[in-house]
Amino acid sequence: MLEVRGIETYYGNIPALRGISIDVPGGSVVAIIGANGAGKTTLMKTIAGVLRPRSGTVSFLGEEITGLPSHKIVRRGVALVPEGRAILSRMTVRENLEMGAFTRRDAKKALPDMDRVMERFPVLKERAGQLGGSLSGGEQQMLAIARALMSAPKLLLLDEPTLGLAPLVVIDIFSIIREINAAGTTILLVEQNVKQALKVSSFAYVLETGKIALSGPSRELLQEPRIKASYLGQ
Amino acid sequence: MEWLNPYHLQVASFMLINAILGVSIYVTLSTGQLSLGNAGFMGIGAYTAALLSTQHQVPIPVGILAGSLLAGAAGILVGIPALRLSGVYLAIATLGFGEVLRAVLINWESLTGGAVGVAAIPQMGRVILAWAGDRGFSPESLGLQSNQFISLAVFLILLLCTILTVAFFLRLSRSRVGRAYAAIRLDESAASAAGIPVTYYKVLAFSQGALLSGFAGALFAHATSFVSPGDFTYHRAVEILVFAVFGGSEHIFGPVFGAAFLTVVPEALRSISDYRYILYGLLLVLMMVFRPQGVIDPALLRRVRRSGKGTPA
Repeated sequence: MLEVRGIETYYGNIPALRGISIDVPGGSVVAIIGANGAGKTTLMKTIAGVLRPRSGTVSFLGEEITGLPSHKIVRRGVALVPEGRAILSRMTVRENLEMGAFTRRDAKKALPDMDRVMERFPVLKERAGQLGGSLSGGEQQMLAIARALMSAPKLLLLDEPTLGLAPLVVIDIFSIIREINAAGTTILLVEQNVKQALKVSSFAYVLETGKIALSGPSRELLQEPRIKASYLGQ
Repeated sequence: MEWLNPYHLQVASFMLINAILGVSIYVTLSTGQLSLGNAGFMGIGAYTAALLSTQHQVPIPVGILAGSLLAGAAGILVGIPALRLSGVYLAIATLGFGEVLRAVLINWESLTGGAVGVAAIPQMGRVILAWAGDRGFSPESLGLQSNQFISLAVFLILLLCTILTVAFFLRLSRSRVGRAYAAIRLDESAASAAGIPVTYYKVLAFSQGALLSGFAGALFAHATSFVSPGDFTYHRAVEILVFAVFGGSEHIFGPVFGAAFLTVVPEALRSISDYRYILYGLLLVLMMVFRPQGVIDPALLRRVRRSGKGTPA
């Protein structure tokens, strides 16, 4: 579904990604793990069109989307939930969800979708009229994910969805990720919570200083000695 | 009809022109862009309309339309490079644009008449009176003197223009475009993650603001019949900004109220009119301390609406 080939992205003259290639097959959950500064967020932003790569290509459903502006990429069915829960804090929950449907041309289908999204996130239904900024951290993350779902994406890019959340909420978020995937949405997930990320995904890439250091089926990576030593503290 | 005082009508007319200028900065601000270039765009609109009507005998409405569109186009040209800037940097850059434009108006004498300005611009009210006079109309039939009729005609035209402008942008703020503006103002990265083409809407808002400033400038030219570079200085730019800061920039009624209030007060207090800018400064400082969001904000409007159920807020 998503094919990234030889991506190099720079901040000024500093390379952040140095030739990254990944594949995300339709229907799967793929995880990207790695330490801070490895380039995980840069990779997500490059796929979503927020950053432009200096070289390399990104293809989605067989068509090249490299360098397209982000709203056009959203329109093609790739939605990014950015790191740090970028919700519209001074708009209500409902308005946030409406903004998520901004790029859609099938306005009639958007309303039933809103109902469906609210069903999946009962907390948001309860707080539909409340300002986004008044929600707790976990609820804000759910709102950010729900808003992305409102664009009816085929591929959902989740950047650190559990960052800074309480352990119980982290469990909720991972079960939501499973549900969304079971409902047919492909997911590319960036996580620091390596154990959970490897459990929820079928395939994973390990990023180190802008390069892929390791990749393989998640189940195998869980047993990999280097992963165990570096990320799982075993 | 003795009470219909041309002087009062003239103050009211300036109030309306300023209200349109207030809306112009509101539109740009509604995407979080702080522009001090609106006096410059106003100058483009005013000079375009003035020169077209004095040198090429273009009908007034056509000149006003041309002035607005040219200012809007200039807004796109300034708006695109200005996208790289935000906050105070954008304010400084647009201020620079305004000053450059003023320098051009002063120095391009063959076109603009230099520092002297353009005089004898057809005045809307007089043109209407002459036109109606040719068809056998006399203002006395309404019980009006000629100068009363002229001032009243100008006022009514400006009132119509202001109402249409406010109605258009009120409608816009509730549309898809308005939602996009609000989202961009709140958080650009969240807006772009929601799939909003941020660049497009920021340039759109900037050029809408420029177009409105040009529109106000063109109306100004045909209401006063005289324009000079001194009308479009740094002071004017700040004055326009103050309408929004004082009145409130979160709802369109804010800058409209600010413009109306800040036009009337110095006239009402003619004796201290020389201290107008001291009053401005003082008001701004007090507002920043006690009500930083401006006089009118959405919460106030909600309260007014709730307490006045049945009567329009």
